[in-house]
Amino acid sequence: MKYPTQYTKAIYLLVLPLLFSSCKKYLEEIPNNAIPSTAAITDAGTARAAILGTYNRLQNYTTDYITLGTVTADNVAFNGTLSEYLQLDQNAIPTDNVITVGVYQKIYSTINSANSVIAGLPGVTDPLLQTAEKNRILGEAYFIRALGYFDLARGWGGVQLQLTPTANINGIKGVKRSTLTQTYDQVLADLIQSEQLLPADDAITRNRVQKSAVRGLRARLALYRENWTDAATYSTQVIAQSKFALVNTYQSFFTAPYLSTESVFELTFSANNQNNYWSLWYPSALGGSYTLKPTASLISKLNDPGIGGTRKSLIAGTGSSVYGTLYNTAGTGTDPSYVLRIAELYLIRAEARAHLNELDGALADLNAIRKRAGVSPFTSGNQEEILQAIADENSVEFAFEAHRWFDLVRTKQAGKILGLTNTNFWLFPIPYSDLLSDPDVVQNPGY
Amino acid sequence: MKLKLLQLFPLLMLLAAQAFSQHKTITGKVVDQTDHQPVPGVSVRLHTKNSGTITNAQGEFTLNLPDDEKSLDFSYIGYLSQSIKVTTNTIAVQLVPDLQQLSEVVVTGYGTQERKFISGSISTIKGDQLKDIAGSSFNQLIQGKATGVQVSSDSGVPGGGITFRIRGNNSINASVEPLYVIDGVFVSSKDPITTSLGNQAGSNPLSDINPADIESLVILKDANSTAIYGSLGANGVVLVTTKRGKLNTKAKINLSTYQGWSDANKKFKTATGPQTAELANEAVINTAKDRGTDPSTVVLPFPNPSALPTYDRISDLFRTARTSNYELSAQGGTATSTYYTGLSYLKQESIVKPSGFERYTGRFNYDNNLTDKLKAGTSFNFTRTFRNVSSNDNNATGVINSAIFPRSYLPVYNADGTFARYGSFDNHIALIENLNNSAVGWRTIGNLFAEYTISPDLKLKSSWSIDNNSLYENNYSNTLISAGIASNGAASSNEGKNLVLTNEQVLTYIKSFGTDKKHNINALIGNTLSTTLSQGTGATGTGFATNALTAITDAAIRSGSSYRSQNKLVSFFGKASYTYNQKYTIDGSLRADASSKFGKNKQWGYFPSGGLTWRAGQEEFISKLGIFDELKFRASAGLSGNQNGIGDYAALGLWKAGYNYLESAGTAPSQLANPDLTWETTRQIDIGTEFAVLKNRLSFTFDYYNKYTYNLLLNVPVPYRSGFNSQLQNFGSIRNKGLELSIHSVNIETKNFSWTTDFNVSQNTNRIEKLASDISLGASGRNISILREGYAVNSFQLYKQLYVDPNTGNAVYDDVNKDGQINTADRQIAGSAIPKYTGGLTNTLTYKNFDFNFFFYFQQGNKIMNMHDFFLVHGGTQNNIGFDPRQLDRWQKPGDITDIPRLTTYSGDPTANGGAANNYGGNVARLSTRYLEDGSFIRLKNVTLGYTIPSLISQKWGISKARIYVSGTNLLTFTKYKGLDPEVSSQSGDQNTAGYDWATVPQPRTIQAGLSVTF
Repeated sequence: MKYPTQYTKAIYLLVLPLLFSSCKKYLEEIPNNAIPSTAAITDAGTARAAILGTYNRLQNYTTDYITLGTVTADNVAFNGTLSEYLQLDQNAIPTDNVITVGVYQKIYSTINSANSVIAGLPGVTDPLLQTAEKNRILGEAYFIRALGYFDLARGWGGVQLQLTPTANINGIKGVKRSTLTQTYDQVLADLIQSEQLLPADDAITRNRVQKSAVRGLRARLALYRENWTDAATYSTQVIAQSKFALVNTYQSFFTAPYLSTESVFELTFSANNQNNYWSLWYPSALGGSYTLKPTASLISKLNDPGIGGTRKSLIAGTGSSVYGTLYNTAGTGTDPSYVLRIAELYLIRAEARAHLNELDGALADLNAIRKRAGVSPFTSGNQEEILQAIADENSVEFAFEAHRWFDLVRTKQAGKILGLTNTNFWLFPIPYSDLLSDPDVVQNPGY
Repeated sequence: MKLKLLQLFPLLMLLAAQAFSQHKTITGKVVDQTDHQPVPGVSVRLHTKNSGTITNAQGEFTLNLPDDEKSLDFSYIGYLSQSIKVTTNTIAVQLVPDLQQLSEVVVTGYGTQERKFISGSISTIKGDQLKDIAGSSFNQLIQGKATGVQVSSDSGVPGGGITFRIRGNNSINASVEPLYVIDGVFVSSKDPITTSLGNQAGSNPLSDINPADIESLVILKDANSTAIYGSLGANGVVLVTTKRGKLNTKAKINLSTYQGWSDANKKFKTATGPQTAELANEAVINTAKDRGTDPSTVVLPFPNPSALPTYDRISDLFRTARTSNYELSAQGGTATSTYYTGLSYLKQESIVKPSGFERYTGRFNYDNNLTDKLKAGTSFNFTRTFRNVSSNDNNATGVINSAIFPRSYLPVYNADGTFARYGSFDNHIALIENLNNSAVGWRTIGNLFAEYTISPDLKLKSSWSIDNNSLYENNYSNTLISAGIASNGAASSNEGKNLVLTNEQVLTYIKSFGTDKKHNINALIGNTLSTTLSQGTGATGTGFATNALTAITDAAIRSGSSYRSQNKLVSFFGKASYTYNQKYTIDGSLRADASSKFGKNKQWGYFPSGGLTWRAGQEEFISKLGIFDELKFRASAGLSGNQNGIGDYAALGLWKAGYNYLESAGTAPSQLANPDLTWETTRQIDIGTEFAVLKNRLSFTFDYYNKYTYNLLLNVPVPYRSGFNSQLQNFGSIRNKGLELSIHSVNIETKNFSWTTDFNVSQNTNRIEKLASDISLGASGRNISILREGYAVNSFQLYKQLYVDPNTGNAVYDDVNKDGQINTADRQIAGSAIPKYTGGLTNTLTYKNFDFNFFFYFQQGNKIMNMHDFFLVHGGTQNNIGFDPRQLDRWQKPGDITDIPRLTTYSGDPTANGGAANNYGGNVARLSTRYLEDGSFIRLKNVTLGYTIPSLISQKWGISKARIYVSGTNLLTFTKYKGLDPEVSSQSGDQNTAGYDWATVPQPRTIQAGLSVTF
């Protein structure tokens, strides 16, 4: 070698800077918009953030869940270009239908958030997090998990019960689908826990869960399980609270500032956390995509003073451009998601009482709803007629909320009303992609 | 001359200022033996001592010769070295060109190498080959010019996205874009546009480079040439060298311009008002029949179809689009420094209103020999771009959709003169007049380097590079368009940047030694440190007092957002090549990379490669045959990696913030940890041969390659009950294998006339070898694209329509699982968006001062999902959508033979094969192969006729060269595809959803005329 010193010099030049700077340290990069999952719930601040995040996840699925409960039935029809909505409207739902797949995913991610709080919170020792607050957060997490499993169960049937947070994907193997009864039992267990942990209602809170919301959901659960006594008991407990009352004009519950006495539990949206569900309902002339449209039969019912009454405020527009207005904050996106309204508890109790053959009580509850809507009372009838009247009332009262489809399936009327005689299609399909990735899941029959 | 530009090892050093007591002064002049022109820059050295000088611009030199020195050595690349005995004080030297050595020197990874010794597969394109073709970006202009490179424009929007693949798609969730290196700068090819445009790729970030500044492009394809780029090289590498000046040359000032006029070859068509009404009526009648209702009892939606008017919306969309381009450059050099500087301005309109693209570029390349050992230089490029972007494709309120979807009998304006809107669609005129989405880009690509010549054979180069791509986007939707109606005006603004900083050191050793210099070594080692940063801040505002106010600060409701993510890469690399006797070359390289993106357990990756070259033509037994002027065999194998395109923090288990509720901050689990996450690795072998016959007039290059990419960075779907949808894992593999052939032929070469032909064809077979499970995606949840083991990426899964039953008029589909039902299980893979063959044919003819060039591009074997027909041949199921004329071919009565089934909206019994529900709805929901078409085409991409004004005339005007030309681009296309243009990919925002045609701007047909003058 002719130039040994130069070689050595050059090699030093290359290597020296690296000898002096630690490579490991140089390569350490962390995000500024996320925290390590291992440090996610460690003190009062992160615990509060985690439960708020769980509410946010709940918000995230509730709007699409409304679509699943409406366009599938007879009040709302598909009117746009996106065929996934057409599939729902025609009740020909392929296993990769984007809406059902999306809701299924989002409910489980809500449950995973709730599971994380339930598992992580007891270990937090922070003087700033007193027992009362800790219990409240835990109670909220149990409630949200219960609601998640309830919404899965009424859509898909018995599902896999995932009760711990996922840290490692291999650690979740082996959980098979539960039966519908087991799933509802889990919902009930969580609701009982939640009711114990949550504080009693204050006079104003309606967008975070307190005891009444739990009881309201418990009443609904009992209704779905046809446990009429429980349904009546728990709805009575909620109705008895002076905090709740039917609002006088129907439309005031979906008019700002929201959080009316009608509301047992609603999810509040804001300018910084928008709900753009209105755009599915509004025509393009008003800035929406007009994918979901009230059916002609619903329009005529709502316009009928003897059926819709003041509930005709649920629609606007004329001719072929009639559109739904329950979600109406075009532009600002601040419509709440209405999870439990006091009107529902009246109708739950009416239905339960009718089944328990307390027909007068049933009529009283039904007519409370009719009266508020400015419709003449339903005076008399036998049990069957009263039950039908309650079902019809539900259909109009909750025309654009996640009720009609689930009510038709629950009361086994989907064949009669929708012509959907194949009962396999009364449940949504388990996502095709999940069947491929999860050996523990089996498809619903008929798909 | 090109040769001299490419030489990167001018032996300019070695002026040892040794003072000798005893010496005499020698002066001399060096000229070329053939043309007797002076040769500057020749190394003149004492024969026995390490000392010497170089010749000046006039080829002259002066040297002090010690008494004990008898001879001088003269050497210069491209010439044979000479040793001359000094007998007088003045000598004249004639250098003899070295024909053997006059072979191409190719820029390779971190160095250069003579082409004849290269063992890998490398395509070279001269900057000249890109001129005269309409198109704003160099990577778009490569189409059909090089083997192994598939290039197609995603749409006809100027400066819009392109698909660029070197030897196929290697990856699913990591990037499939090659690495672009411009003058040593690693540049970002990430599309910076954040405005949502309906899933189309918003821009081609490489259109920031003015193609006229480019001297040459080198495409590295095989493992041996890309492994030196380690974890960045698996998708191939494109090395761009821009123009630089030459030492001792007079300033060459060039002025050029071209003007272009573009329009559409084909425009959208819609059924007329009466036709639409007839179709709608027929659907209602047929549906009634399907339901068992008496059709005479139904109320027809249009009792009198012929009375309906027809409103033409399509003509409003298109225009004759103008293109203007102006360039000014200066190039030259002094004895110690060289410069190239170029300025350009381009303005290009889209043939569909209102998009457009404007670009200003400035380039400054400068090199200075500070001393005879130390050279410093810089390459800087500044670009400002302006885009007027417009959402199309998958967006119901896009301009094109708003014109083609509304039924044609519906008026454009309401009775009161306001814009009419129907269903989900906006008004196209309102959009054309009011869309206000601008994107202003500032791009700085710069490099500073210093090179120290330690000895004639050994050089150390250190360089610092920056690629700063910043973009300022402002969108304003006023109350006249649907996006702004509800909110009373909506504005958004985003200022973002992608920054790549690179520092590198390279030590190069090139040495020939032994008898007749039989042994040649070309080696280098080096390191790089690189940081990639992506960050931005955005704001939105809604609610404006009037449309005249557009600033976010004027909005009633305002909100802000930001993002930032950064990754770092540390690399060490080395390569060496040894050539014996000009015949045998063996080379190898190794790179070690560590990336901040990967899991703590697997941060380092090692990428080795090796190659062999045998120049059989140099063997006596071959050359004796007298057939081959050159015959070379080469083989290479190696590993390269890929880490681009995945999140910077993909290995970490994270909870993300921003899941807020009640105006309070919330967090939620967002990502599962994977501490074992690491590179995906591509193992590639390449075997090739190059040979030339008939006195080098016919030359061939042929390659076979087999690339196997394993440990794919794959978003593996996980059970949804985990709360997650997928986890990024190293799982799965893809194989790409193919053949490449290129032929260069000098058909005629006489004094006045020459004709050359270049032909190339590439074949690639892509196959997913291993995948966790099927991944279906695309077309807004319709899942038309699928990734499945055993098939190519970008495959389409659809229900295969076998025929339309001539008796019933209902579509009959292939019942794949033979269960007598049509449901999800019967979807099948019906082709892929990836062409099997691509290639080009270029003919260049010159006659005296005329030059004529025509160029065909072809691709074969790809499918296109015609979403236009998917929507507009809907059989009546879409009340708010008009019809494409293709719907008129529907079945009407028994005996009709057609592929368009009977109109109906009946939805009963969606699983029945041959039932009415599946004609346009049901389980099939129009996901039928009747909308999938063959996308093969041959296109006369470009024809150019040029005339160079004879120098006798031009010199009178003080001009050294002047050329005028006219050219036509996309003049003729031969294809079976029924849509507007087969060169289309409107869902290109995601690499796994290629091949959709969805309300896309077609490729423009352009006529341009240009003038170039050099002073």
